[in-house]
Amino acid sequence: MEEKRKKIEYDALVVGAGIAGGETALNLANNGYKVLLVERDHSIGGKMILLSKVFPTLDCAACITTPKVSEIARHPNITVFTESEVTSIVKKTESLFIAQITKNPRFVHVEDCTACQLCEQACPVNVRDEYQFGLVGRKAAYIPFSIANPKAAVIDLEQCTLCGACERACPTHCIDFTMETDYFELQTKTVVLATGFRLFDPLKIPRFGYGKYKNVVTSMQMEREIAPTRPYHTILRPGDGKIPDRIAYVLCAGSRDDSVGNPICSQVCCMYSMKQAQLLMGALPMADITIYYIDIRSFGKGFEEFYQQAKDMGVSFVKGKIGKISEKENGNLMLRYEDIQEGKLKEAEHDMVVLSVGMLSNPSVNQIFEGEMLQLDALNFIQQSDLLGSPAKTSIDGVFVAGTASGPMDIPDSILSAGSASSEAISYLIQH
Amino acid sequence: MKKKLGVYICHCGGNISDYVDVEKVRQAIEHEEGVVLAKTTMFACSDSNQKEMVDDIHQYQLDGVIVASCSPKLHLVTFRNVTETAGLNKYTYVHANIREQASWAHSDDKEGATEKAIRLVKAAISKSSYAEALYPNKFEARKTIAVIGAGIAGMKAALSIAEKNTAVVLIEKENSIGGHVAEWGSLFMSNEKGYELVNRIHNNLLQHENISILTGTEVISSKGNIGNFTLTLQKKSKSIDNTKETMEINVGSVVVATGFDHYIPQEGEFSYLHNRNIISLPDFKKLIDKSTEKTLIYNGKEIHDIAYIYCVGSRQTDGDNKYCSRFCCTSTIHTAIEAKKKFKRIHNFHLHRGIRTYGKQELLYDEALQNGDIFIQFYDDFPPEVSSIGKKTSLKVKDLLSSDKELLLDVDLVVLVTGMVPRMDQSVGQLFKLPKGRDKFYNEIHMKLRPVETVIDGITLAGTCQGPKNISESVNSALSAATKSYSYISKGLVETEPIIAKINADACVWCGECLNACPFEAIEQKEVHGKKIATVNKSVCKGCGMCAPVCLPNAIDLIGYSDKEIFSMIDALAE
Repeated sequence: MEEKRKKIEYDALVVGAGIAGGETALNLANNGYKVLLVERDHSIGGKMILLSKVFPTLDCAACITTPKVSEIARHPNITVFTESEVTSIVKKTESLFIAQITKNPRFVHVEDCTACQLCEQACPVNVRDEYQFGLVGRKAAYIPFSIANPKAAVIDLEQCTLCGACERACPTHCIDFTMETDYFELQTKTVVLATGFRLFDPLKIPRFGYGKYKNVVTSMQMEREIAPTRPYHTILRPGDGKIPDRIAYVLCAGSRDDSVGNPICSQVCCMYSMKQAQLLMGALPMADITIYYIDIRSFGKGFEEFYQQAKDMGVSFVKGKIGKISEKENGNLMLRYEDIQEGKLKEAEHDMVVLSVGMLSNPSVNQIFEGEMLQLDALNFIQQSDLLGSPAKTSIDGVFVAGTASGPMDIPDSILSAGSASSEAISYLIQH
Repeated sequence: MKKKLGVYICHCGGNISDYVDVEKVRQAIEHEEGVVLAKTTMFACSDSNQKEMVDDIHQYQLDGVIVASCSPKLHLVTFRNVTETAGLNKYTYVHANIREQASWAHSDDKEGATEKAIRLVKAAISKSSYAEALYPNKFEARKTIAVIGAGIAGMKAALSIAEKNTAVVLIEKENSIGGHVAEWGSLFMSNEKGYELVNRIHNNLLQHENISILTGTEVISSKGNIGNFTLTLQKKSKSIDNTKETMEINVGSVVVATGFDHYIPQEGEFSYLHNRNIISLPDFKKLIDKSTEKTLIYNGKEIHDIAYIYCVGSRQTDGDNKYCSRFCCTSTIHTAIEAKKKFKRIHNFHLHRGIRTYGKQELLYDEALQNGDIFIQFYDDFPPEVSSIGKKTSLKVKDLLSSDKELLLDVDLVVLVTGMVPRMDQSVGQLFKLPKGRDKFYNEIHMKLRPVETVIDGITLAGTCQGPKNISESVNSALSAATKSYSYISKGLVETEPIIAKINADACVWCGECLNACPFEAIEQKEVHGKKIATVNKSVCKGCGMCAPVCLPNAIDLIGYSDKEIFSMIDALAE
């Protein structure tokens, strides 16, 4: 296999094409450096491109992300590899890193695909749509989501029955089942890690009933329900398709919680929950929204004002942790909690519950460094070797970190962190 | 006149189409004069639509393009670039804002919103048919950058620019560098001392020959524009003959890193200045760092019981400071932990409004709880009452966490957890005409798209002058600003918008009205063929248009917004 590896060379390798990786790649490319941007998923744009509107300004996430993504995709100095993984990185000298990259087949020639969706219509296989966080299904031949980049079909070979219907339906003959995995060996002078975060899996807290009670959803699922590219045209609870009118938010679901091994605060959940509450009040003017919280952490520029705005709009804030959620016959949910303000145990009925899940470290970078190892912190985020003096530096000279790969962060902080990482990388390229 | 116009009407994924009937808009304008193509699109800004626009421009040989979508602040540049990619002059592109001006503004009136959108698009079509090809003004850029303020943000910005082999002038008003961080002992999350961190970075700065550090120096005036600013600097100390020494420097861009002021409690606020046992957070931090005894002594008295009152000067319900100062919860908890480690028999009582130790800082909150610190949460509108009886300082507080029980605390010391406020000295902001936000900190262009840039080309913001931040966040912002400032000038050439004022020399009678109206000092009087007329300095004019309406003989036109174009738009709107 080794001899089949194609040799490639770039000034910088950026791992992860979410907003932090994308911003880093653009900064480097705009200063004349050749960048290879490697993304594991089928589209660039990370998690932000899937969001609805973003706090505290309520700009629509798609409107901010799509042009950035477009700029990244078209930039003459940036090469994007989607469905690709960096399998190993070795530092040879101060200005030479060797990385092995595996580019998995998409089974569609992106340059020929017009995203006409005829393959999608022809495909007989229905599976869970991960981009809609399981709210609806998708086909095995599918366009990931409407504003994906590249906007081209993908064949999910694991689910595919090889019936050939998509191939016959495709007017441009861009579907190709003979596509093989490509292997690359990259020479580069610097590396920026922007591998992002994982969402907390609420199945780890059985007392919240996620997975068992259909009307308990995650905040990411609610995010999809209110996004412009939403699966339904309105807000529906998944159990029976009813429009909810008493929605509860359970904050710190999996954050600030030693019992699930995540003692830290995820930094964004208070704000995005208040944002969703405001958007829901716009979409469902009659709905009551209650936010159950430990502390409200609206600390950034304009955030405290956003909190006051949510209160003024009539969102109810209840200080109290949810002990247990149980389901009634009609699909409504009973929340048992301690109302700290009143010092009483209480129960409240809601017809839909949103678990505000937090950010966990993404373990994908743990094993890729050979020789000199990359240090991680106790929660497996990438260790910042000089947190106060040079926050983008890692334990390996020449390897930098951008965005949530080093810890929870909101979008404005991720972009500043990417600015910082690209600044360090440019200095490193000039100095070495 | 353009004859082949393409019009795109954006759904904005529902942001527009939920209120404006975009198909109706399309039908209403498709037969307008010159329009050969009218389409609706889910997201005009998406990559796939951008590709389609380029193809359409080629296929239909369009000579003008209009997109009706969001505010031009968001996507004017995006679509200009699309038309440029397709070979058109990008300044002929016309943008119609039917989101902020129609769908969002009139979400209660769908028909009205649709009708308004139709007129806005018709006006844009009229403008488009007159829009002329324009070319950006190009200037040589100075390859030196000025950084104003040598706190942690300014120092790191300067270092980062110097590492990119670019000359930097680091200007500090005070006589020493390091700003607030130099005052601090142990810092949260790393336990490095503030002054050691400053020394470490100072040593790094000294290794670069291309950095000049000017302390005790203020910027007193600025002239020019991106690529070539002339800053006048003044030494604060007077020379022997009692005159202040001034000098001029020429730079291509400027990083503003002027930092923050500590909030100073008003006299009597929580008995501040009325009771000797009440101090502010910065003073307390210095006390903890400087004390070398085994027991904490303040005002000659042993200190054991300490109360911290949070959010003093931040999150005010009555005052102007509505914002959260972000660093103070963690800073206070960290200092309380330090106090407990360093001195005997310290008991900490935290009177707070919800602890905001976000992210990994939560671990410090855990540690304080493990230490046995007591946390009492008070209501926003029931702040603790401080009273002094004899030598005793007492606090009365209603505790939300123990169902509103009223607690009485006798303590030795009360620490007022004071936050950050914008600098009282706003001279640098005034010099460059930097806009401020609701919180009175300097404002960025867009928190997510352009977080360190300002509306004044060539001026970036680093650190807390833009809003409260901790050290690590300030440094990230500083390095982002440094990269941006560097990329403005690294090519040695800057391009500025061609949309500026133009003076018709024949019509001008030099009355001086335009000179008075111009906020950027771009108008100069010149004598041409024996006649005094006004001229526009192309590198300084921002195209704001203030001069055009005050010109009595109507001798001024704003390029790109000529009378011809504007009148045609008014006609279309009033039709």
